[in-house]
Amino acid sequence: MASVTLRQLTKTFDSSGLPALRDLSLVVRDGEFLVLLGPSGCGKTTVLRCIAGLEDPTSGEILIGDRDVTQAAPADRDVAMVFQTYALYPHLTVRENIAFALEMRGVPRAEIQRRVGEAADRLGIGGLLERHPAELSGGERQRAALGRAIVREPRVFLFDEPLSNLDAKLRMQLRAELLGLHRQLRATMIYVTHDQVEAMTMGQRIAVLHEGRLRQLGTPGDVYERPADEFVARFIGSPGMNILIGVADSGRGKRGGGAVVRCGSLTLPLALAYEGEIHLGVRPEHVTVCGLGQGEGDAEVRVVEPLGSETLVHVDAGGQPLVARVPGLFEVPNGQRLGLRVDVKRLHFFDASGTRVA
Amino acid sequence: MRGKSAAALAALLPLLAAGWAAAGAERALAVRMAETTTAYLTLVTPAAPGSADYDLIRLLVQARALARLPGWEGRLEVYRGTAPLVRATQGSLSARTMAALRRRGGVLWWNGAALAPLKDKNGGEVVGAVAVTMRPTGEAWRRGAFGGLALPAVLAAIVLALRAAGPAAPRPTIRAHAALALLVGLAAYANARGAARDATDRWLDQTRLLVQEATARLPTTDLAHLAATIRPVAQAGGDGADLRTGGDSAAIRVRRVRVGDERQAVVAIRVGWGRWLALRTRPAETTTGGWLWLCLALAGLSPAVAALLRWALRARAYPRRLRETLTAWGFLAPATGHLGLFTFAPLLFVGYLSMHRWSPSEPAQPFVGLENFGRVLRDPLVWISLRNTVLFTLQVPITMAIALGLALLLRRHALVVRIARTAFFLPYVSSVVAVALVWQWMYHADVGLINRALAVLGLGPVDWLGNPRTALLALMVVSVWTQVGYQMVVFLAGLQGIPDAYLEAARVDGANAWRRFWRVTFPLLQPVTLFVLVTGIIGSFQVFTTVYVLTGGGPLHATDVLGYRIYHSAWELLQFGDASALALLVFAILFWVTWAQFKLLGKRVAYA
Repeated sequence: MASVTLRQLTKTFDSSGLPALRDLSLVVRDGEFLVLLGPSGCGKTTVLRCIAGLEDPTSGEILIGDRDVTQAAPADRDVAMVFQTYALYPHLTVRENIAFALEMRGVPRAEIQRRVGEAADRLGIGGLLERHPAELSGGERQRAALGRAIVREPRVFLFDEPLSNLDAKLRMQLRAELLGLHRQLRATMIYVTHDQVEAMTMGQRIAVLHEGRLRQLGTPGDVYERPADEFVARFIGSPGMNILIGVADSGRGKRGGGAVVRCGSLTLPLALAYEGEIHLGVRPEHVTVCGLGQGEGDAEVRVVEPLGSETLVHVDAGGQPLVARVPGLFEVPNGQRLGLRVDVKRLHFFDASGTRVA
Repeated sequence: MRGKSAAALAALLPLLAAGWAAAGAERALAVRMAETTTAYLTLVTPAAPGSADYDLIRLLVQARALARLPGWEGRLEVYRGTAPLVRATQGSLSARTMAALRRRGGVLWWNGAALAPLKDKNGGEVVGAVAVTMRPTGEAWRRGAFGGLALPAVLAAIVLALRAAGPAAPRPTIRAHAALALLVGLAAYANARGAARDATDRWLDQTRLLVQEATARLPTTDLAHLAATIRPVAQAGGDGADLRTGGDSAAIRVRRVRVGDERQAVVAIRVGWGRWLALRTRPAETTTGGWLWLCLALAGLSPAVAALLRWALRARAYPRRLRETLTAWGFLAPATGHLGLFTFAPLLFVGYLSMHRWSPSEPAQPFVGLENFGRVLRDPLVWISLRNTVLFTLQVPITMAIALGLALLLRRHALVVRIARTAFFLPYVSSVVAVALVWQWMYHADVGLINRALAVLGLGPVDWLGNPRTALLALMVVSVWTQVGYQMVVFLAGLQGIPDAYLEAARVDGANAWRRFWRVTFPLLQPVTLFVLVTGIIGSFQVFTTVYVLTGGGPLHATDVLGYRIYHSAWELLQFGDASALALLVFAILFWVTWAQFKLLGKRVAYA
């Protein structure tokens, strides 16, 4: 097992001329399950392919353990990769697919047999070894692809959106299996996904990428509770954090009050010294509805999404869109005006450029 | 129910045709016998003194003798004027019949008998008539229609037709019905052919009696003179009938022999101690080819009616389906018409030609069965050209290897690469004749580029196209050069179809470039490889233009390939039958080779 260190990694593709990665530095700890999260086009797959050696970074260094592998061939990096499309060789059986890498490395036949058997048993695909990939279901193919990775006992596992081609139920099941596998193997795993639910549930730490830059690196709790910037705040959570654009008013020379932020129809207390435009974040679950005039302000209902256990109420608070997450089923006609109560202890503040202030 | 009976009745149609053919054969026999008998009487009956007309008494004697001749099968009546001579109490010919006979000048069908005009000794005026009755037409018809296998086959076919015409007929029943319909058709044809053969045999048999009788009644002379004297009797029977000296007791029964390209039925006639004549005629069964097609076509009607009925019943149950089917056929019609007119029709015509002696310069195009195939297979030049073609086909794997290598090299998109690709593809889109002419210059023994280059190296000139040892090789090089671009493009398309992920996975798995190619790329490319191999071999077997332009099959047949041999047979020897037979044999070889390739390689093809 080994750590993976990226130092000032930059990658520019010839075709577009635009940098896919900019100055990315990141340390994946030995035995860690790290999730690279970001919207499509953010460069997360490029990071993975650079680590695998399938892409050469334009500048920067990649270390696996203590060894600089920036110039090493993929075969010499001792990493295993699971592709989004699984990339199981269609002309080989599952057994041959799993054994392929060992064969290429000249492992003795008997040992190949043993290790393929072990890997297959671990993944519960012992009965499928003589089948061809075309004869497998999606989940079985995914397991075969996992088998091909674990049989090598590599130092680092790389997963490129491995669950995105599966249906929701199977995805949940395989998520749990993957975590189980990580516990058993205690291997370093780097997992790329655009699905923040996957990231939250699986990652020990999450690296959020956007436009080729690392926006935040932290535990799921950190990322959710203390987003480093507005992008992370909006991206994490479903729906993401509400961002209201307001003006801070220190309240000097006014009666009865400390500093406040006025945004749309809402007026919220400001716990720090700040003047001018400020972006205020609040998660939907920290906004509830109440009677007119009873909360921090009033708003008009735009859309109601009943989800069963909760209801998402989209409102317009004086020109600022906002989502409130209300427990249970909540019926209210569109256009209705109601009061909003905001949990003022759970407010996040960002400056005009989107960087966290408090 | 009406439809079902239509399908059942349609099964009977081949039998009607066979009966008709058999009845026709019997009537044709009667006509021949009437003509032969008339000629016989003309020969053996002397004229009345001072007249061209026959001596009545002698005519009466000859006629009655003939009618009572042992072995004489038909029923004979001879009329002198309109009066019957053999059975004088029978009715006489009407004046109108006699007038019709005179007008016609040939055989007339009258009261179930063939009525031939009896002309006087000079062959001028009609002085009487000869009526010959063979088997009744009805009986001949019955034999033709229901003889042999025909009746049981048709009964079974009717039973199956009734079942196959149902809307939910099981597939095996439908197939059995079709098979039995075919059997009925073949049985019907067998009967028709049998009747024709039988008619020929009987004519020979009866005419032999006449020849023997004539011999007894004529003064003894030498054999050649005798044959010449009696020959008109035989020739009166038409159909290439002739009488010659020769023959022996071995041919005492009617035999079929081949004289040159022609089949003949022949029988030997003993006309004295050690004196033999041979009577021959064209066998009637050799001209029954048309009946075969008619019988088969009629045999197809019953399954067709049943299929139509099934379709109609289903269409009635689902009206929308009818509409959709008609619409579908509407869309298919242009393609079907094109395919039929330009693919299947020529194929059928080749099939037809292969079973006929067919030359544009000869009016006669007789059916010869499989004779053309036999001759083609016995022809040593055909075997040489087959060997040359197989050797020539060795260029296919060579071309493929080069093309695949080029495709791997030229996979990128750089400008240089694109120019190179175009350069390699150019020969394929160039005129083959032009390409061949350029190569002709390159191969030229004295001024050719290749020999000049060799001369620089101090190597002697080689007459590439003139030397039997190098000519085929030279042609193979031209073929490699023209085909490699096309195959490269196909391989490039195949390579592009392989997802990068497989090769990336292999790289991560630790496979080097060599192993990535052999373990991943090549297996995934196999459908493309199979396609290129099959089309390459087919194209190689059809090679013609380069051979035609560069060597003309020479020297010493060293480059005589099948395609050239077909052309040579057809357009230089004008033997279209042979050429068609050879073309079909090539087709059979290619069909088998392709089938084998799909069986052997297709199984392992992983369609990614």
